[in-house]
Amino acid sequence: MEAVTGPLILCIDDEALGLQIRKAVLEREGYRVLTALDGSSGLNLFAGEPVEGVILDYFMPGMDGGQVAVAMRRQRPEVPILLLSAYVNLPQDVVTMVDFTVLKGEGPTELLSKVRSMLQPRQGPGAAP
Amino acid sequence: MNLREFNRIVRQTLFLPVLLLLVLAGFIIWQISRSSAELRWIDHSDDVMEQTIRLEKLVLDQETGLRGYQLTGDNSMLAPYKAATAPIGKQFTTLRDLVADNPTQMSHLANVRDRYQIWLGFAQGVLNKDPTVVNDPRLNQHGKELMDSLRDAVNAMLQTEGHIRRERANAALSIERRELAAVLVSSLLVGLLLAIFTRSRLRRVSTTYDAALEELTNKAQEIYERRQWFQTTLESIGDAVIACDKDGNIEFVNAIAQELTGWTASEALGRPLNEVFHIINEETRQVAENPVDKVRRLQMVVGLANHTALISRQGKEYIIDDSAAPIRAEDGEMRGIVLVFRDVTEARRSEAALIAAEKLAVAGRLAASIAHEIHNPLDSVANLHFLLENETDPMKRKEYLRMAQQELSRTMQISRTLLSLYREPKAPIPVDLKDLAEGVLLLLERSVAQQGITIERQFKEPCIVEGFPAELRQVFTNVFLNALDAAGKGGRIRIRIEPVAAAELRSAGGLVEVADSGPGISEQVTGNLFQPFFTTKGENGTGLGLWVSNGIVLKHGGSIRIANNDDGDLRGACVRVYLPTRTMANSSTRTTAHVDQGTGIRN
Repeated sequence: MEAVTGPLILCIDDEALGLQIRKAVLEREGYRVLTALDGSSGLNLFAGEPVEGVILDYFMPGMDGGQVAVAMRRQRPEVPILLLSAYVNLPQDVVTMVDFTVLKGEGPTELLSKVRSMLQPRQGPGAAP
Repeated sequence: MNLREFNRIVRQTLFLPVLLLLVLAGFIIWQISRSSAELRWIDHSDDVMEQTIRLEKLVLDQETGLRGYQLTGDNSMLAPYKAATAPIGKQFTTLRDLVADNPTQMSHLANVRDRYQIWLGFAQGVLNKDPTVVNDPRLNQHGKELMDSLRDAVNAMLQTEGHIRRERANAALSIERRELAAVLVSSLLVGLLLAIFTRSRLRRVSTTYDAALEELTNKAQEIYERRQWFQTTLESIGDAVIACDKDGNIEFVNAIAQELTGWTASEALGRPLNEVFHIINEETRQVAENPVDKVRRLQMVVGLANHTALISRQGKEYIIDDSAAPIRAEDGEMRGIVLVFRDVTEARRSEAALIAAEKLAVAGRLAASIAHEIHNPLDSVANLHFLLENETDPMKRKEYLRMAQQELSRTMQISRTLLSLYREPKAPIPVDLKDLAEGVLLLLERSVAQQGITIERQFKEPCIVEGFPAELRQVFTNVFLNALDAAGKGGRIRIRIEPVAAAELRSAGGLVEVADSGPGISEQVTGNLFQPFFTTKGENGTGLGLWVSNGIVLKHGGSIRIANNDDGDLRGACVRVYLPTRTMANSSTRTTAHVDQGTGIRN
C-alpha cells in the first residue's frame, strides 16, 4: 500500500469488527495503523512502537479509555490522544485530559478531520522525532 | 339470687300462708264442733226435763180422772185416766232411753216408776171397789200421799236434771270463752307469723330484686359504654366500615363509608348493601359481585377482585381496596357481614407513576449500554459507507457490504430487544426464561464487559413458563443489574435457570437463580429490600427496582427470595426467582407491587 510511510497510529477498541473497519478507513487515508483489542495490550504496543497518535475507545472491558490515557500520558505525554466513544456523557476529567474526542456514529469524515488536526503539529518541520 | 331461688321464695310466700290459714281454719272448726257438742248436751238436759214434765202431766191427768171418778162414781170421768195409760208407758221408755247414760237419773227414773206403780196399784184398787164407797176421805188421803211421793220423785229427777243442765251450761260457756281465746290467740299468732314470714321473704326478694336491678343497670351502662366505645372506634377508623345483618341489610356505616358511598347513615341503615355499596369492575364496567353474597357463599374472609371501583350516590368513582368478613356468633353461626374498604385511587395512581418511573429508570440505566450497542455498529456502517464510496475493487466492496450487513443486523437485534422491554401481549404467552435471560444479558453485555465481570451461564435446556415477557424482562434486568452492581469490577455472577417440579406449596415452574461474588446483604437491609424507595445505591438507585419486580413476580404467581449464598465459591447475595408454569396473571391484573413481608427474605 502507498500508506506505509504515513504517520503511525495506535487504534484501541474491544469491538473487533469495528476496529478492523476503522483500520481500513485510516489506511485508506495513508496512515499506518496498529490495533489492540484492550487497554493493556494497547499500552504494550504504545511502549514498544514509535506511535505518533492514539485513537482510543473509552468503553472497554478491563481498563477503560480514561485509565489507558492516564498511563500513556505518564509515559509519553507528547503523543496526542483522540478519545472515541459511543458514550454521550464522558467524564469531564477524561475529556480535558485528551486532545480530541469523537463520538462514535459521527462518521468517518469527522474522525479523519480530527485525526489530521491531531497529527498536524507533528508533521510540521522540526516537530518530527 | 338465681331464678330458681326466686321462684322458691315466691312459692313459699304464697303457699305457707295458705297452709297456716288452713290449719287455723281446721282448729276453729274443731273448736266449734266441740262447743256444739256441749250445746247438744244442754239440749239433751232440756229434752229430759221436758219429757219428765210431760210424764208428770200425764200422771196428773190420770189422777184427775181418778179423783173425778171417786167424787162422782161416774165411769165417764175415768176417760183421762184411761187415755193417759198408754202414753205414760211410752213416756217412760222415752225417758229411759234419754237418761240411759246417766246412772243417777236412771235411779231417779226407777224411783219415779216405782212410785207410779204403787200409785197405779192404789188406783186399780179404787177402781175395783164399789163406786159408792170410793169417795172416802181416808182413801183420798192415801191417794194424795202416794201422788205427793211420786211428785217428789219427779221433782228430784227434775232438780237433778236442772243441776246437770246448769253444769253443762256453765261448761259450755267456759268452753266458748276458751275457744274464743284460743281462736283469737291462734289467729293473732298466725297473723303475726305470717307478717313476720312474709316480711322476711319479701325483704329477701326485694333486696335481691334491688341487687339484680342494680346489677342490670350497671350491666346496661357497661354495655352502653362498650357499645359507644365500639361505635366511636369504628366511626374513627380511617377505613370505611359497613356492617350488615346476615341478609345483607346495612346495620352500621361509619363516617368514611358515608363519605365514599355518598349515603348518610340515616339513609343507608336498613337498606340492602348493594343499593348503597355499588361496585363495578373498573375496566369492564360490569357490576361486580356483591361481597355479602360472596362471603355467604364461601363462608370466609374475601377480598375484592382487582380493579374494583365504587360508584358513589353522586356518581363519583373511587378505586377501592377492600375485604369482607363474616361476623360470627359464639356458636359459629353467621350473624352478619362486615365490609372494610378504602379509597386507593391516589395510591393506585402513585403506584402506577412509580412503576412507570422505575421502567424509565431501567431504561435510563440501560441507556449507556444501548447507546454503545447502537453507536458502535452505526459507526462501523458509516465507516464502511466511506470505504465503499472510495473502493473500486469488487471483492473488497463485497466484503465491506457483508460487514455492513452484519453490523446492521446486530443493531436490529438490539433495537428489537429494547422494544420488547416495553411491548406487551394482551394475554400471557409461553416465555422461554433462557431466551429471556439471554436477551437481557445482550443489553447488559457492554456493562458486563466493561466491568470485567465474568458471567457463568448454567442453563442449556429451554425453561418455558407462561407470562408477560416485557414484565419478566424488567425483573431480570433489575436482578441482573443488581448482581452486576454487587459483583463490581472483576466480579463473578452465576446464573442458573432450571425447571422445578411441583413441591408441597408450589406448582411446577421455572427457577432463575442469580448468585454474585459481591459482599452479600446485611441483616439490617434484608427487611427493607422489597420496600419502595429503599436503595443501597445512593444516587444511583431509585429504590423501586425490587419493589416493582416483586409485584410483577407475585402477579405471575411466583416469588422472589433474596439471601446470602452459603454454598460454593460465590459468597455474595443470591436471588431466586420462581415462576409457575401456569401463570395466575391475566391481562386485567394490574402490575401492583404488593409489599408483603411474608414473601420477603428468609435468611
